[in-house]
Amino acid sequence: MQEITLIGILISTCLMVVAKSLLALIRGFRWQSFFLFLATFLIAWKEAQPSLYIIAGLLLVIKVVLIPQLLYKIIKKIKVGQGLGLFVNTQLSLFFVLLFAYLAWDFSSQLIVYGSHAQAGIIAIALFLVLVGFFLMVSRITALAQVVGLLVMENGLFLLASAVSGGMPFFVEIAIFFDVFVSVVIMGSFVYRINKFFTHIDVDKLSHLRG
Amino acid sequence: MFNLSANFIFDPLSIFFIFVILIVSSAAALYSHGYLKNAYTFPRKVFAWVLLLIFVCSMLLVVTGSNLLVFIIAWELMSLVSYFFVVFDFQYNRSIQAGMIYIVITHIGTAFLLAAFLMIYQAAHSFDFIALKDACHLLPMQTRNTIFLLLLIGFGTKAGIVPMHIWLPYAHPQAPSHISSIMSGVMIKTAIYGMIRFIFFILGITSPWWGILVLILAIISCLVGVIYALMEHDIKKLLAYHSVENIGIILLGVGLGMFFVSMNLPYLAVFALVAGLYHLINHAIFKGLLFLCAGSVCKATGTRNMEKMGGLIKRMPHTAVYFLIGAMAISALPPLNGFVSEWLTLQAFFLGALNTLGGTKVFLGICAAMLALTGGLAAACFVKAFGIIFLAQPRSQYAESAREVSWSMKAGMFILAALVIIFGLAAGSIVKLLIKVSAATLGVDGSALNLSAYNLTLNLQALMPGPVGKDSYLSLPYLAALLVILGAIFFVIYRLAKRKSLTYKTWDCGYYKVGSRNEYTATAFSKPFRIAFSFFLFPYHKTQKVRESFYHVKAFSYETHTTPVFKKYVYYPLLAWILKFARLLRRIQPGSIHLYLAYIFAVIILLIMFINKF
Repeated sequence: MQEITLIGILISTCLMVVAKSLLALIRGFRWQSFFLFLATFLIAWKEAQPSLYIIAGLLLVIKVVLIPQLLYKIIKKIKVGQGLGLFVNTQLSLFFVLLFAYLAWDFSSQLIVYGSHAQAGIIAIALFLVLVGFFLMVSRITALAQVVGLLVMENGLFLLASAVSGGMPFFVEIAIFFDVFVSVVIMGSFVYRINKFFTHIDVDKLSHLRG
Repeated sequence: MFNLSANFIFDPLSIFFIFVILIVSSAAALYSHGYLKNAYTFPRKVFAWVLLLIFVCSMLLVVTGSNLLVFIIAWELMSLVSYFFVVFDFQYNRSIQAGMIYIVITHIGTAFLLAAFLMIYQAAHSFDFIALKDACHLLPMQTRNTIFLLLLIGFGTKAGIVPMHIWLPYAHPQAPSHISSIMSGVMIKTAIYGMIRFIFFILGITSPWWGILVLILAIISCLVGVIYALMEHDIKKLLAYHSVENIGIILLGVGLGMFFVSMNLPYLAVFALVAGLYHLINHAIFKGLLFLCAGSVCKATGTRNMEKMGGLIKRMPHTAVYFLIGAMAISALPPLNGFVSEWLTLQAFFLGALNTLGGTKVFLGICAAMLALTGGLAAACFVKAFGIIFLAQPRSQYAESAREVSWSMKAGMFILAALVIIFGLAAGSIVKLLIKVSAATLGVDGSALNLSAYNLTLNLQALMPGPVGKDSYLSLPYLAALLVILGAIFFVIYRLAKRKSLTYKTWDCGYYKVGSRNEYTATAFSKPFRIAFSFFLFPYHKTQKVRESFYHVKAFSYETHTTPVFKKYVYYPLLAWILKFARLLRRIQPGSIHLYLAYIFAVIILLIMFINKF
């Protein structure tokens, strides 16, 4: 069962990488978060921890419902084109991402000396998420794509934390959730402001501000 | 872990330096009470006092820490606090500029020190001096040479030896005068402490070329310092250049000590180090005194340009006397303290020349000759300084309106002037104390050294075989008495044979308007030296005529300059190269967020790929 959720995360991440429009990217993120919720829920069920249930619930509410909703709203509000603006085209991106998957697997198998094989898999996927998030930030032009990239990295960190230590302490986890939510709200409003002032959200054009 | 006994060291060398720091600092602190009055607002006065306290404490920490970490932290603290003093008068642009030069160069020096410390630490795996000492004796030759060079550059930068002296004439004059006196008198000496502590005590000297290298640098510092001082007309800059010269003289003693240690002549090494340490404390006292006097003059006249002074002896008689005492001491005139230490240094050179063979004999002889030349030039320089500042008619309104300074400033100067005389007359007993310090540092039993209070040279017959020079006889108290008696005799003869004197105007070729503009200037005084050392100074002049018509010249200006050799041929090319490199590096900074993120990303990927290599 757990394997299914992990594969779901992997596939939804790849869907994000091949996405050419903002809407597709956010849809991918929603699926990814949903599978992450499932994975957390399964761990909670297996270990019968009430605090993990709460965290899973928060994950569902914030990352699957609220954040994508907010992002959709911003897109509608700023009336920006659907294009992401690719530095690296989708085929090449997918190739790179596969390379990252291999790297992450290689790295995590070196890291695990005591844990089980399955745990190595979870760490590999978590690391993969972090790398892909970073890759999205680097290779996509629009500012919203960078917000989503950051969220993907955060998902990776969450997965890593629950894989290595069975989740961070309860309050830390909750604090991080609110952090992420608030940061998305702030970044969203920033993207809105940028768009208002410069009539586009290409971060690339910020280099004109250089002194 | 951090208990007192483990991190601090109170051996004779440290105690000697504590003494040096405290006497100069306390005199300067007393002086600063009057100096800061009416010049700064109350909060800035408080700030100056707090900084002074931190400054002195950090210097004390430098000389007492027995742990690399304590040492380097105190060292950095000392540099930073002194930087704040350099930019204390921040409303002037040149203060900011001087501070910039100072902070950059001092950190380059610290970088070299850190490199040396890390190399030493790698050998010892401990920060403690004793453990370092044990570990350093096992190091291979190549490593020790490298560490020595790094330490020499690092400490040399702080000490201001040529060619790393470039910051000193900018930074020292820009600080408030009581701080100039501490910086020049004491702070640069902590670098000498570092050299003695790390090179003699921890690293241990093995090759003779270390000592020779230090001697060559010291000789160059002496001559360059004093020649630039002769050319200088800013009173505080002049004193700063003399600090370069005197650091050279101190290093002559220290370097000679290094050389003797490597030649296995322990008693001579002790003697040479005594000479160096004696000049160190002397220089701290008289340079402190001279900077305080310069501060008084600057406060009274409101300018640092000597050409605008003159006639101050009538307006500021106390300051003039103290300055004269300091000037005589720095020019090595008996019976004051500067004479004693330069005499000891010369003696050390002669003893060295007598006890070595071949080329070394000649080299040590040349060093001694250069030291004598330095002394002569320093005397000339202070004839100029005293003559132009204090004698003749006032050259400007500034000098005209000068008044004697307040009691606390006079008291600060008085203490140091009295110490100048005491350290001259009580030389015998002070040398005995210094022998203990020096012998303890070198690990030699100093009790066998026979050095009487009346005879300031080493009695070597008992200590070593071979040819030994005749003992020369010199006693400072007798010499002083002799000078007093001779002076009295001449005075009596003068009074007896006095002819009737007539006060009248100077004959002025019928011009009948002789004023201060006709006086001899500092530039004119230094002209012969500018010509004599033109191979080094490259003097040039510019003339400009402003004409109304071909026949009527309205104004004529004449400027003479000397070429700043080190700045022009060493530092400017270096700076140009660094800037070029920096411009090259700027190309990887296009201002694109994606690219910056990509840099980080690439590093992460590389780390993941090569994790098993680390």
